[in-house]
Amino acid sequence: MTNDEVFAKISAKFPMVEKAAVQVKDYLTVRLSSKDDLLPFAQWAKDSSFDMLETVTATDLLGPVDMKGYIRQQNFNPFLPDGATPQIESAPTTGYPYRPAMDLLWVFFSVAEKARVFVRLELPREGISAPSLVPLFKSADWQEREAFDLLGIGFEGHPNLTKILTPDFTQGHPLRKDYVHIKDRFDE
Amino acid sequence: MAMILEKLPGLTKGLPGGELFLTTSDYIIDLGRRQSMWPMTFGLACCAIEMMASYASRLDFDRMGVIPRASPRQADVMIVAGTVCKKMAEPILEIYHQMPEPRFVISMGSCANCGGPYYDSYSVLKGVDRIVPVDVYIAGCPPRPEALQYAVVKLQEKISKMSLKKGLATVQQEKGSRDINA
Repeated sequence: MTNDEVFAKISAKFPMVEKAAVQVKDYLTVRLSSKDDLLPFAQWAKDSSFDMLETVTATDLLGPVDMKGYIRQQNFNPFLPDGATPQIESAPTTGYPYRPAMDLLWVFFSVAEKARVFVRLELPREGISAPSLVPLFKSADWQEREAFDLLGIGFEGHPNLTKILTPDFTQGHPLRKDYVHIKDRFDE
Repeated sequence: MAMILEKLPGLTKGLPGGELFLTTSDYIIDLGRRQSMWPMTFGLACCAIEMMASYASRLDFDRMGVIPRASPRQADVMIVAGTVCKKMAEPILEIYHQMPEPRFVISMGSCANCGGPYYDSYSVLKGVDRIVPVDVYIAGCPPRPEALQYAVVKLQEKISKMSLKKGLATVQQEKGSRDINA
């Protein structure tokens, strides 16, 4: 099944779903319009031979600069004293595509057809949450926990949304671009 | 017949009959201790590849009495080979306390010495000496197997200076390790 055939099937069922501007490698990449589409889409994928969820991940689009283009954290090393010489020069960067949003990604794989569908969904960063796919795909369980642990994305309906990678004393979500390290007991 | 042996291997040949040896207890204890340093099989990252190379036949760590043990209960020296994550810090402390005394620690590579390239990371311990007392540091990223063997030689020199009077502890060990429950 070629990408166009898969996309024709998708657009027959979900007219709102369109191709993403940037395609991931050779794979069909589609973009959902809202997070309400995700569960029906996943249900369709499971019923129509895309029965394996390979990846759940996300990208923080906030970027290392603030909305005016200035470096947000000049001294990223938390062990420097207050008022130390800045490690990064603060200069406006132009033409950055950064925005306060996160780009979520699900990858569905069809074992029978040997085809993949990359599903993207951009959500605003504040209080971000998406529907959980654990009721449909068991493989979503740990991957959604990882996305929660590192990026702070809440998955509604996840049975056990707790930390999976970072130790208990690590505060915050380290892959968020505005993460500031809080010293823990091994940092003294 | 009695002799005081300061250089035991050199003088045993000259003993007529060899019925009686006299030596200091410090010397004989340190000799046994330094010639059979059994490290624990404990690799954390890419430095462990160099550690494995030095165990293997080309560089042959066995000739120095260094035989890797699979249990901390049978080990004398812990070679911390690689990046120490904060999540791994507690298991390292636990393993260190499971080793029988006197125990020694070799910190191998830049990561174990000071955090290395991950110094600014949120998840990496900035040097294993923050949790356990380190006897020998090896610089390098990763150090060559020869450097690891030289570190064992330096540790042997250090052990040969230990004495019962001083409580059989090196200076670093007197500092002690971090409380396991802290």
